[in-house]
Amino acid sequence: MNLERLPNEEKLTLCRKYYLGGFALLPFLWLVNVVWFFKEAFLKPPFTEQTQIKTYVKRSALGLLFWVTVLTTWITIYQHFRAQWGEVGDYLSFTIPLGTP
Amino acid sequence: MVVVVATIKSVMLYEIYTPFPEETDTVAQRAVNSILNATIMITVIIVMTLVLVLLYKYRCYKVIQGWLFLSSLLLLFFFSFIYLQEVFKTYNVAMDYFTLAIVVWNFGVVGMICIHWKGPLRLQQAYLIMISALMALVFIKYLPEWTAWLILAVISVYDLLAVLCPKGPLRILVETAQERNEPIFPALIYSSTMVWLVNMADTDRPKRNSAESPAPSSPSQDDGGFTSSWVSQQEHRLGQLQSTEETRREIQQMPSSRPPVEEDDEERGVKLGLGDFIFYSMLVGKASATASGDWNTTLACFVAILIGLCLTLLLLAIFRKALPALPISIFFGLVFYFATDNLVRPFMDELALHQFYV
Repeated sequence: MNLERLPNEEKLTLCRKYYLGGFALLPFLWLVNVVWFFKEAFLKPPFTEQTQIKTYVKRSALGLLFWVTVLTTWITIYQHFRAQWGEVGDYLSFTIPLGTP
Repeated sequence: MVVVVATIKSVMLYEIYTPFPEETDTVAQRAVNSILNATIMITVIIVMTLVLVLLYKYRCYKVIQGWLFLSSLLLLFFFSFIYLQEVFKTYNVAMDYFTLAIVVWNFGVVGMICIHWKGPLRLQQAYLIMISALMALVFIKYLPEWTAWLILAVISVYDLLAVLCPKGPLRILVETAQERNEPIFPALIYSSTMVWLVNMADTDRPKRNSAESPAPSSPSQDDGGFTSSWVSQQEHRLGQLQSTEETRREIQQMPSSRPPVEEDDEERGVKLGLGDFIFYSMLVGKASATASGDWNTTLACFVAILIGLCLTLLLLAIFRKALPALPISIFFGLVFYFATDNLVRPFMDELALHQFYV
């Protein structure tokens, strides 16, 4: 799939679909959206749909940032306090490392 | 290449968890068992391929698409889940369900979108490579040793026959696709973007100015491991792993005469079937897992496969038709593996022992 070959309206619809899709707990999709459409939105000479693509890219980036902070905080909390939480920690764990923490 | 190396690295991890169940009393019995296993797998592959060819011929496209969809779904979610579990266990890292769910969900959904719908080409290639590697790992883990080597050898021979013989199912598939001027399903092939202007197949593709450095662009390199292969594999996963020939076939089917209508980067590049990736990775993975010579053997196999691939591409450029990608590489790979394992390594050991540096 090469963006170059698509007409601008299709680029816009694709960007929008990726943006909307990211709301289904898919920050990775937002990341792909940002990276893929970055050149189109910011580095190209302006075309009609560019402002809209820009907004989508910006919003995807915001959403991505939000998810990254949430996940990082959760992971830090989890890794730090897992051993102290006793049963709850074990219940949450997918794999439990061996040895003493 | 990176994929294969990644496979190797991950396979090293698997070593801890892979008990080889093929322990029998005598060598002869083991040989017979492995031959039987291999025969079963090959038979399944042949059957699946025929089914795929029939479906394709009678235009049951929906069935094929649904099948591919389900198999890629299974691969992306289930196998990556298991893989992650093994990785975390090996590194003794705790992981909670919440993060894991988010990661697997993202990986799987974006993978499905990239492969079956629209997505950036690089990401699609990366995903295809990752699933091929996963499949190869599954094979390596669950197939007993002799069976695996035997399967590799037999598949190469079968590949050769299926593609080149006039009655071979893959050949039929290729020709049917050519007649109808249709592209093969995207989930089965890996297409690079390297384009070589000179050797485009018969159609006139005038202006493809690809800035890419010349690479043999064989429009169709068939058989790779198509996803069909692993599709079927997935279906029978618990029973026996079978690589579906079909995917291979599909890939093989990529005829060089692509529909002249659209000029698409993907149509110009080399197309390699996913099954090929799977079997190459399997070869190198097994070499690294079970070789007594460690990196020597692995590197030798790696190099052998790459040489084989270059030769195949060369042949493709000369002949310009669908060619089986497996035989040459696998043959070289196997030869190098056994030779290195048995000849080179003791030699090097002796040299090191006597402190004699060449």
